[in-house]
Amino acid sequence: MSAHSPLLSLKDVSKGFFGLQVITDVSFDIAAGARMALIGPNGAGKTTIFNLISGVYTPDKGQINFAGQEISLVPSRKRIGLGLARSFQNIRLMPHLSVVENIMLGQQSQAGGLLSMATPLMGRSRWRREAEDLLARMNLETYPGEVVATLPYGIRKKIEVVRALASNPKLLMLDEPAAGLNPNETASLRDFLMGISEAGTTILIVEHDMGLVRSLCDQAIVLNFGRKIYDGLTRDVQEDPLVLEAYLGSRHAQENAHA
Amino acid sequence: MSGYWAGILSILAINIIFAYGIFIPVASGQLNLGGAGFQAVGAYSAGWLSASFGLPVSVTIAFGIIVTGVIGVLIAFPILRTKGVYLVLATFAFAEVIAGAILSSEPLGGAMGISVPGYIDWYVSVIFAGLVTVFVFYLMATRFGLTIRAIHDDEDVSDLMGVSVRNVKVAAFGIGAALTGLSGGLYAHSFSYIEIQGFNALVSIYVLLYVLLGGTQTAWGPLVGATFFTLLPEALRSVLPATKNFLVTLFGETGIVAPPDESWRFVILGALTVLMMVFRPEGLVTRTMVERLQFWRPVSRGVTQ
Amino acid sequence: MLLLQQFVNSIMLGSVYVTVAVAFTLTIGILNFLNFTIPTLFMIAGMMGWALSYYGLPLGLSGPLPWPIALMGAVVLTIIASLIVERFTFRYLKTKYGDSTEHAIPLVSSLGFLLVLENLVRIGYGTDSRRFEGPDADLTMNIGGIFVRVPQLVSLAVTVVIVLGLTMMIKHSRIGRGLRAIAENPDAANILGVDTRRIVPVVFILTGLLCGLAGALFAINYGEVSPAMGEDIGTKAIAGMVIGGLGSIWGAVLGGLIVGLIEMMTVHFFGADTVQVMVWGALLLTLLAYPSGLLGHNTIGKGKL
Repeated sequence: MSAHSPLLSLKDVSKGFFGLQVITDVSFDIAAGARMALIGPNGAGKTTIFNLISGVYTPDKGQINFAGQEISLVPSRKRIGLGLARSFQNIRLMPHLSVVENIMLGQQSQAGGLLSMATPLMGRSRWRREAEDLLARMNLETYPGEVVATLPYGIRKKIEVVRALASNPKLLMLDEPAAGLNPNETASLRDFLMGISEAGTTILIVEHDMGLVRSLCDQAIVLNFGRKIYDGLTRDVQEDPLVLEAYLGSRHAQENAHA
Repeated sequence: MSGYWAGILSILAINIIFAYGIFIPVASGQLNLGGAGFQAVGAYSAGWLSASFGLPVSVTIAFGIIVTGVIGVLIAFPILRTKGVYLVLATFAFAEVIAGAILSSEPLGGAMGISVPGYIDWYVSVIFAGLVTVFVFYLMATRFGLTIRAIHDDEDVSDLMGVSVRNVKVAAFGIGAALTGLSGGLYAHSFSYIEIQGFNALVSIYVLLYVLLGGTQTAWGPLVGATFFTLLPEALRSVLPATKNFLVTLFGETGIVAPPDESWRFVILGALTVLMMVFRPEGLVTRTMVERLQFWRPVSRGVTQ
Repeated sequence: MLLLQQFVNSIMLGSVYVTVAVAFTLTIGILNFLNFTIPTLFMIAGMMGWALSYYGLPLGLSGPLPWPIALMGAVVLTIIASLIVERFTFRYLKTKYGDSTEHAIPLVSSLGFLLVLENLVRIGYGTDSRRFEGPDADLTMNIGGIFVRVPQLVSLAVTVVIVLGLTMMIKHSRIGRGLRAIAENPDAANILGVDTRRIVPVVFILTGLLCGLAGALFAINYGEVSPAMGEDIGTKAIAGMVIGGLGSIWGAVLGGLIVGLIEMMTVHFFGADTVQVMVWGALLLTLLAYPSGLLGHNTIGKGKL
């Protein structure tokens, strides 16, 4: 992998379900170290892109390259080991595991091997210590032993990000991390993600909160009806005619629907 | 120790091991409704080897564990491809096929059953139950245990976290089958006689209910469930006759009926099942409960199991 | 000729399985719920029919009832029992986390109900077989050298009418449309204005009706009922349902008949002991090799459980 090749690159990726085209010929690159936003109106195909990158779906057409390797046919379970970790639009932590156990699950790709499966994770095991340290660094040390299902929404949202981080990813993909958070929580999430980025992790987020997008991401990709309509600097995005049309068009439609 | 209590302790120990054998796949979200079939494989492997070749008990029981474990792994590959209702039906069908095969097999005694030489005392089963309990607690504390519980909660996300879902499920099924086989072997040698009617569909149901009512989130669940329901009839010994008289009058019977007292135990088991599913579907012992009971531990270390 | 006679016999036998298999397939197809109380409901119909014709109403309200009234009463009681089952199994399913044991709640409670109802009947009436004094079960017709017992012929006719009526109802009535909407997607059905809380009990009323009629016909045909009569029929009905394909009414009809055929032919060629292996083997093979069965829809029952 040469110094200039992007960390992640999609080439002409298409995906459809039951004859319905959801993603059409999408191509984009993400450079190592970037903070990229993936935005667009509802139903534009953002989560589908995440699912294609993380391997939940296989593209009908096109290539996905990650860290110099074509990964479209790599099984989803192996991708986290390559350095691809993600969170989910609706929190998908394991509800019956404690916080620290969820983080230890995130370490799965690091632990690897049959022998590691037989190692106890109690007391002073290396994995538990690392998980607790990671939680402490993210200011979540209050909760390690608690079962996730009982925790408040904002905390669970953050824990899901930390679980993804526990795999030491090169690329961290977050699906609407600020959804449902109040302004204070969003601000703290922003600093949190900034810290992660400064430590060298590339970030790709799907987000509706444009304030967060502007303050966190330098670059943005805009999708509409499964096609890429913008790829460039975040600060210019709102002057782009296609983007304006996509958003205003849909806002128009929404207003009409309310009227 | 009287023969009566020796019998109770044997059956208690065997039920605990049996329940752990079902618990491990259930903890990974695989409802195994074929427990009796696996137990029968263990019991008949051990019993047949003992009756036909007179081998020592240690060999026959080990043989039973291995045969059941291997069958468990082999059947797991096709069976675990099925999901939901299909998995329940497939495990159930497996047990019925095993029972049918034994029933029509001459060397295994068919409907007559076989006598098993090599009697073992109650304490052998109790020691095994202790070892199995420790083993399962250990297993649930390992990364393997973590992945089992993760798969129970969410298979798809476990996969994305890098867990080999299929391998973990097959391993859970195989280990569970081997433990069930151990319980079968102990049963054969403790009671010196096995017949296939003793491994019927109801047995599969009972053991699954022990596990589910005890709770599937921690290794305490099967221990509590199996112990409670095995000892329940003993506790009810004095209460039962009175209730029985009352009901007999209510049904208008006059003396010709001799209700089997065994039945009460299962009415209570069934009623508790229905009530538990309404009020506490996660089972008696939960993670949160175990955590609260561990108040003497340093908080920052959290839950160990 | 003998083979032809066997073939006719197998259709008669299969028609008993068909009604119960349809009950199973209906609950799975619409609610994705494997209702293990169905064989028990079938047994309750038979035993209540016997009890009403032998003792009359409880608490001495009436003397022994004539058999047609007793059987009608039994069908009503079975429907009531089925509604009680609905009250405690399905209505309480609340998916909080969507994990695998949670989806098993109705199935597990139905196992609990199976234990409660079976054992209460055993406690109330003992475990013996009881003679049911109905019409002459041995009244026989000779059609071109093939002997057919008249009650069997009536059962077959009733079965055909039930299945046709049910398919018509599901296809054309308002309730039928509601049922199909729930089968498609319960949440969407709710949003589209189908009142699931009122439609779901319909499934259980139908289940009770089917099991009640099947039990009553069984009592007439065999002149004998017992608390164990549900087990055999229930397992074979499950086999029929799976072979026909989960969720398909005509599949259940076809599957029930095929199971009757397998049973008769196995008895004819290999003897009665191998029936269990053949029937459950066919079921297991269907599940593993071709899980959607002969006429099934391949989406049903695949959801989490």
